[in-house]
Amino acid sequence: MASNSIHSNLLPKSAFNHFQTSSYLVGSFPAGILQVRVGFSNSRRVPSYSCIKCEKKDDHNIEHVSVERPPYYSYMDSTSGQLEPASGARASVPEQEYWPEGTASQVRAARAPLPGGESSSSPSYGSQPGSRRKNYKTAAASSSSIHVESSDPAPSDEASLVESTEDAQDSTSEFVVYQSEPEEEEEAGYDLDKKIGNPHPFIDPRVKKKIEGTLPEEELWWNWKKPEKEQWSRWQRRKPDADTVFLKAMAETGQVKLYGEHPTLTETSLYRARRHLYKEERLQAEEDRLEEIGPMAYYSEWVKAWKGDTSREAIQKHFEETGEDETAQLIEMFSHQTDREYRVMMGTDVRIKRDPLAMRMKEEQIKQIWGGDPVYPTVNYIQDPNEVIDYRGPDFHEPTPNMLAYLMEHGHIITREELNTILAKEKPEQHVVTDVDEAMAKAVDIGENDDEEDSDVEDEEEREEEEEEEKITRNWSVLKSTPELRQSKPKPKKDGPMSLDEAIDDSENLTDFLMDFGEEE
Amino acid sequence: MASPLLHQPTQFFFSNTQLKGPSHGFLWRPPCSSFGASHSENKARPIRASVDAPTFPLFQTPKQHDSASELEPADPDFYKIGYVRSMRAYGVEFKEGPDGFGVYASKDVEPLRRARVIMEIPLELMLTISKKLPWMFFPDIIPIGHPIFDIINSTDPETDWDLRLACLLLYAFDCEDNFWQLYGDFLPSADECTSLLLASEDELSELQDPDLASTMRNQQYRAQEFWEMNWHNSAPLKIKRLARDPRRFLWAVGIAQSRCINMQTRIGALTQDANMLIPYADMLNHSFEPNCFLHWRFKDRMLEVLINAGEQIKRGDEMTINYMSGQKNEILMQRYGFSSPVNPWDVIKFSGNAKIHLDSFLSVFNISGLPEEYYHNKCLAIDGDTFVDGAVVAAARTLPTWSDKDVPPIPSAERMAVKELQQECRQMLAQYATTSKQDEKLLDSLPNAPRTLEAAIKYRLHRKLFIEKVIQALEIYQDKILF
Repeated sequence: MASNSIHSNLLPKSAFNHFQTSSYLVGSFPAGILQVRVGFSNSRRVPSYSCIKCEKKDDHNIEHVSVERPPYYSYMDSTSGQLEPASGARASVPEQEYWPEGTASQVRAARAPLPGGESSSSPSYGSQPGSRRKNYKTAAASSSSIHVESSDPAPSDEASLVESTEDAQDSTSEFVVYQSEPEEEEEAGYDLDKKIGNPHPFIDPRVKKKIEGTLPEEELWWNWKKPEKEQWSRWQRRKPDADTVFLKAMAETGQVKLYGEHPTLTETSLYRARRHLYKEERLQAEEDRLEEIGPMAYYSEWVKAWKGDTSREAIQKHFEETGEDETAQLIEMFSHQTDREYRVMMGTDVRIKRDPLAMRMKEEQIKQIWGGDPVYPTVNYIQDPNEVIDYRGPDFHEPTPNMLAYLMEHGHIITREELNTILAKEKPEQHVVTDVDEAMAKAVDIGENDDEEDSDVEDEEEREEEEEEEKITRNWSVLKSTPELRQSKPKPKKDGPMSLDEAIDDSENLTDFLMDFGEEE
Repeated sequence: MASPLLHQPTQFFFSNTQLKGPSHGFLWRPPCSSFGASHSENKARPIRASVDAPTFPLFQTPKQHDSASELEPADPDFYKIGYVRSMRAYGVEFKEGPDGFGVYASKDVEPLRRARVIMEIPLELMLTISKKLPWMFFPDIIPIGHPIFDIINSTDPETDWDLRLACLLLYAFDCEDNFWQLYGDFLPSADECTSLLLASEDELSELQDPDLASTMRNQQYRAQEFWEMNWHNSAPLKIKRLARDPRRFLWAVGIAQSRCINMQTRIGALTQDANMLIPYADMLNHSFEPNCFLHWRFKDRMLEVLINAGEQIKRGDEMTINYMSGQKNEILMQRYGFSSPVNPWDVIKFSGNAKIHLDSFLSVFNISGLPEEYYHNKCLAIDGDTFVDGAVVAAARTLPTWSDKDVPPIPSAERMAVKELQQECRQMLAQYATTSKQDEKLLDSLPNAPRTLEAAIKYRLHRKLFIEKVIQALEIYQDKILF
């Protein structure tokens, strides 16, 4: 159907537009083959010239899909803090020491470079052995110094596959000057990484634009600041030991001197032992004192009301006098004790803090040792008893009553009165129409035309559903759910042409009609 | 590397101690310089003589500048045809000189603790034939349907291994898509081959060694007979076209003899002795102090050529292997077609009772080691002493010596013995028709001599040089006997 002649200059420009891939095709054709246009079927148009048939190529039909490799093959895992492969399919290839036997030689053989250079002789296939050797006997006799080139033979010759479409030998001027072959520039950087599959960012950094309106890093509330100590997760912080924290608190209050910021295990155990010994010592001292001064004197410390003499001699004397032994006297003494003193003596009052250091510890430290509150571990859990609970009823999806006010405030909905006024303003036009065709309007009342029905309503002052429909379509489900609004009567429309004020009011919402696509006929 | 001197006969010689190319035992001496002086200018630190097997790479001229300047990289196809068939050469390249192919290092190699592979050749490229019957096993190349199968079968594998290999080689040339069809272009042709099988009668007579000449004649005769027997007129065309004339067959036998590598190959569980023609490994030259060796890797059935562990290789060094250890020049000449003046295993037959003290001889020349492995101990030697080479080592072996624990030699007796031995050597030299100098002159005057003639002349020249060296060594020994 198409002749093979090429009329480049005669082709209209429009022809190029039909083939979006034209430029692509142009570039990819090898040398010597003149690129011709794709020829459509003859029914397409009737050109004065003949259609040019392209060579058979279905490049434009093929969808070139490139499968990119993921931009990374490994990443730093946030929990373990170590490199992990992206796909999880396999571990990395081991080193050469771990290769199975023979792999190294295979790899070496595969890596050996291809020999280059072109041979000037051709094989004789067994008929002339030695034909490709250089015959030196004649050369040596010529006594010319032959230069040695001990380097490797010339690098491989590049087969020039694609020559430029210069068409130098084309004598005729009929040929189109196509664009010269696009020089294949070596991809580098991001493109190369993408092609090969090296880890690369998702977007080309050269092309990447900063998202506008973003906050700087520090101001982002979700900004993940790396911890200063470069730990991957909070779980890697030091885990507090009771003794360690205690010792740290002690060091902070100055009772103990540490050699560093944090107590070491040695120090901790040392101080633990020391504390234990001190306690024992103290207890021992107390017991000794008890032994020494006798129970009466000892326990009189906690009985402020007992003013009597508590020495052993006095007890002895009293015993002799009254016959009460030590125990009875103790009982009597204790009967003078207040319960507060009792509790202090027994040490069972939790309100009395026994360890002064515990008072001075920070809450965080206390929490580390003894744990926080099991019921309300954080502040967020504490509840305000007077709080108004947000009870959502069965109509939760409905807006709260306040929503109406909000919408009205923003002008999303208008009151019925306003709507009526607007409609009333529209009335004069309809009036004109009905005045003319009054008889027609009165006669036919099918209900097709909303405008005419409005006029009927106005005349008859009846409740119209179309209004409500209009209103309903304008407004949303509020009306559906609030039956009171549905029942409202239509307000009387305003008669007569619009006054100036009304016109001004009307002109405020000139674009209202644009929104109501359904309203327009 | 080499100073680009012109190739002139008068200026061959260098006392270059910084020789980095192959050291050559054969010395071209300017005809004008004296006998003794030229010896002292003897170059080349090592004793090793890299003498090429001529049928492979031909013997290379010792001139350093020659060897360096006349080496050209071989045809790139040479390696390509192997590369395509998964043969690899690592760090070496093939170069051609006036005397044939050689394998040279293309980069420096430090001494390693492990032997390093420089070439690996897969089994499929080789022509193999097992030494023992039955000739039925892989990897032998068995041309089952071809009539040559019967011919080969009719031979005795013990004695006719070269004939069998030659038949296989010719068959391979005829096989389509056979690697040897391509590789054969790089084998030395019948003109370039130095195997004495192709030598004519007068060339054999040029050897000046009747024993060797007769051996070669027998070999020639045997091959010729074989050809006549099997390539008779009524032989099928398939056979006939393998070797149209006996010369081709003789050439094939020569190639087979000189390039055959006998290896114990293990294929799977079977170990067999095989005669193999291995494509690229046969381009390695021979040296008495080689830096490479061959190894069969049974895992993927490759022959590896490995550099000796601990070898320091510089760029441009020649890779050499030891073809045959412990053989005198005669055997080398007969089998491989080359000879060397510094063959440490050369033998001179001395008659008479004169003996010299072995230990003092060894100590004079700083030769140490066991008798099987004499070597020149450079640590003991004064630097710059380049006299001791393979010939002196051979002298230490072949001279009649006595050694009786720690009985000291009597200097006068020693000197007498030395004189006697020298006399004998001179007599031997006199028996030759020509002197070494004449031989050299002859060689120089025949630049276009056929290779076999050259080889023959060189053979006798080397022999004479060796004897001269022995005389000289005895002289030095005599001087250095401690009183």
